Amino acid sequence: MPAIALVPVGKSLVEGFHTGGVNIIVKFLLAAFQPSINRLVIESSFNSLKTTISIAIIAWAISLLNGIFLGVITSNIFTELFKVNLFWSKILKYSLTVPRAIHEVIWGLLLLQVFGLNPYIAIISISIPYSALIARVFAEQINSLDIRSLVASKHSGAGPFETLVTALTPKIIPIIGTYGGYRLECALRGATLLGIFGLGGIGTELTLSIRSLEFNEMWTSLWMLGIILFFLEKVITWIQTPSLYLNNIFNYTITASISILILLVVSILWLNSLDLGISRSLVFYPIQLPSIQELIYSFNKLSWASLISQTICLTLFAAGIAIGLPPILLSLWPSKLGEEVISFLWIVCRLIPAPLSALILLMCSSPSIAVASLALGIQNMGVMGRILKESINNKDLAIFNAIKSLGADKRSAFFYGRICPQSNSYLAYSAYRTDVILRETVLVGVVGGSGLGWQLRESISSFNWSEVILLTATFGIITLTGELLSDHLQYYLLKEIKPKQPLLHLKLHS
Amino acid sequence: MISTFFHKRFKRAIWFTFCLILQLQNTSLSSFAKERLIISAIPDQNPEHLNRLHTVLARELSKELNVEVKYIPVINYPAAVSAFRTESIDLVWFGGLTGVQARIQKPGARVVAQRDIDAKFHSVFIANQKSNLPLIKDLSDLSLLKGRRFTFGSESSTSGRLMPQHFLQKAGVRITDFKGGRPGFSGSHDATLALVQSGSYEVGALNEEVWKQNIATNKIDTSKVKVIWRTPPYFDYHWLTQPNIDERFGKGFTNKIRDTLTSFTKESKSQKIILELFGAEKFIPAYSYQYRDIETIGRQLGKIK
Repeated sequence: MPAIALVPVGKSLVEGFHTGGVNIIVKFLLAAFQPSINRLVIESSFNSLKTTISIAIIAWAISLLNGIFLGVITSNIFTELFKVNLFWSKILKYSLTVPRAIHEVIWGLLLLQVFGLNPYIAIISISIPYSALIARVFAEQINSLDIRSLVASKHSGAGPFETLVTALTPKIIPIIGTYGGYRLECALRGATLLGIFGLGGIGTELTLSIRSLEFNEMWTSLWMLGIILFFLEKVITWIQTPSLYLNNIFNYTITASISILILLVVSILWLNSLDLGISRSLVFYPIQLPSIQELIYSFNKLSWASLISQTICLTLFAAGIAIGLPPILLSLWPSKLGEEVISFLWIVCRLIPAPLSALILLMCSSPSIAVASLALGIQNMGVMGRILKESINNKDLAIFNAIKSLGADKRSAFFYGRICPQSNSYLAYSAYRTDVILRETVLVGVVGGSGLGWQLRESISSFNWSEVILLTATFGIITLTGELLSDHLQYYLLKEIKPKQPLLHLKLHS
Repeated sequence: MISTFFHKRFKRAIWFTFCLILQLQNTSLSSFAKERLIISAIPDQNPEHLNRLHTVLARELSKELNVEVKYIPVINYPAAVSAFRTESIDLVWFGGLTGVQARIQKPGARVVAQRDIDAKFHSVFIANQKSNLPLIKDLSDLSLLKGRRFTFGSESSTSGRLMPQHFLQKAGVRITDFKGGRPGFSGSHDATLALVQSGSYEVGALNEEVWKQNIATNKIDTSKVKVIWRTPPYFDYHWLTQPNIDERFGKGFTNKIRDTLTSFTKESKSQKIILELFGAEKFIPAYSYQYRDIETIGRQLGKIK
């Protein structure tokens, strides 16, 4: 269904197609096989890789802890157990949309304003949107859990805290295993913002080589990053082997926590050795906040209707491409080899940053929202594809085999037997992905007319704080609206399927 | 049945992680490092250039000024301005507009030097050959660009955005007059060049130095793209220093920096490398009054509040 977005996007691309930049695209592709092997380039790429990995690991660990914590306390179960006022829990839940709505690069620029160049601030900038995103994913996953054990232990007279821990831990750990591992990869890609903190990092090299169109040097960084992503994926797949945690969840948790701690310590030591000023103290440099008059003036100055409509258009098209294509691609070639090839394709999609793909696409197409949404869509398709593949591989083949034995051909059996059972969780992840895409619209300014995201960058570069405040608020409001819609939609869909039961019939005076 | 022992360990583990969260978020170590001169530049060159430049430049300045010098590449215009405001960087190579933005946010900062070419800097307007645009003889002819697909470079670039937009405005062309109701922002001079050469955008404006370098290295297909106009001259890039430099490094240190930079010659091997990477024959003294026009234009176009 969402793949319908391809129609207008494709139409617009075909209309704007030209061959003027083909030589540049060819150069870009050929350079993939001739990455620069200049000693200086390799050395600096390698050093920046170290920085990127260590910052990513620290940021990831922080966002994981925050995310789990916030996810648990915003879940329905927690509110029921601890008798938290529903109003406050809702406030907290929905206030998490603001940190999620703003891209980490923007957080970076804003925090840099008040704290100066500091590695901690870089780490925190990545952690803010990530924590909020992980919190949402966990809260929703927890809400969808079966809570009978919870009720049972409640009845056995355990306190709310013990109940929560004993009932939730075994259920949550596998989710953390799957989703948490994948967030590490995102953190690696997110660490491209280190360039604005003067920390170097692979993203800095990448940005500079894209700016100067030095494709050979660019591929040096891309290959290095690609190799890391590839290995990371293998490691995560191994970690997720169900036999590892099914029977000894406690040991699994302890081992995982210890390994994360070791990783953290190593990263911090690494950073320390790189002389990035990790031991600098935090100093606060206040900025003058705009007055009400200034806010009103800015509000009247910006053309909100077109900005918002462009952004929503861009987001929806990109989301359509990102969400609609993976199931189709997987069904086209349902074999082991096909899966491997498509997996590799997805790594490539995830690897190439949206600004770069937008630039490359623009070489053979006139500027339009379609180009921007395709660039964003391709990158996020890589992410969605991976999530889909993982959840398919973690499920049993019963339905698939049943359908196949009825004589259906392999393709439709694959689609109905393996993809369809995933549709619920896949669509839930799609909702989270749409948040991410909205946030990423700030990255594709190369295409004229890309709405709020471009305007936000323009306002930041003019140091116009009143506009920045209004624009970030707008991003927040759009994300909030999206979340409310998806909550209601889920509620109604579930209501259609089964009458919604009251969550917990707990006789708490037991 | 879960044992109470299990509970306790879990409780402890939970508390431990909770403390760890707090710990991680409040880590802040203060240090008493020796004074270092932190230099930075907004790079629009390729990484290989940059790596060479920063090692050579830091070493050279350290030798001449007799202090420890560290180079930090900040790759984003507003980030560099903010880093200057928060005193994270001491001596910075800014563009015209970003330098003015930084001085307004940090009163007392001093302009010390510029390249010989920065005193008379130009942008060029380039057009795809298929656009059939004639050469622009007179500023008012810029109105021919209305209704064309047009791209600037980076939002904060003086030569890739501010001055071109200023001249367009003088000719009565607003940025909403372009095809699609707004211009593109390619992000860099090289990208502008590639996009106009491909024909995705019919016209673009960029730093003349970049155009010349690309001509010299045969990266431009002149059958596809041509220069249609060269802007009048203006002041552009310059070195800017923090106001507190003299307090930290000794009286007269700012002037010492100026003297050092302007004394670079092509006779010395290392200084020659620096000058070549900067695309200059030499550095010359520069003063803040030279950038008044940029400030006025920045205010007119809303880039400076």
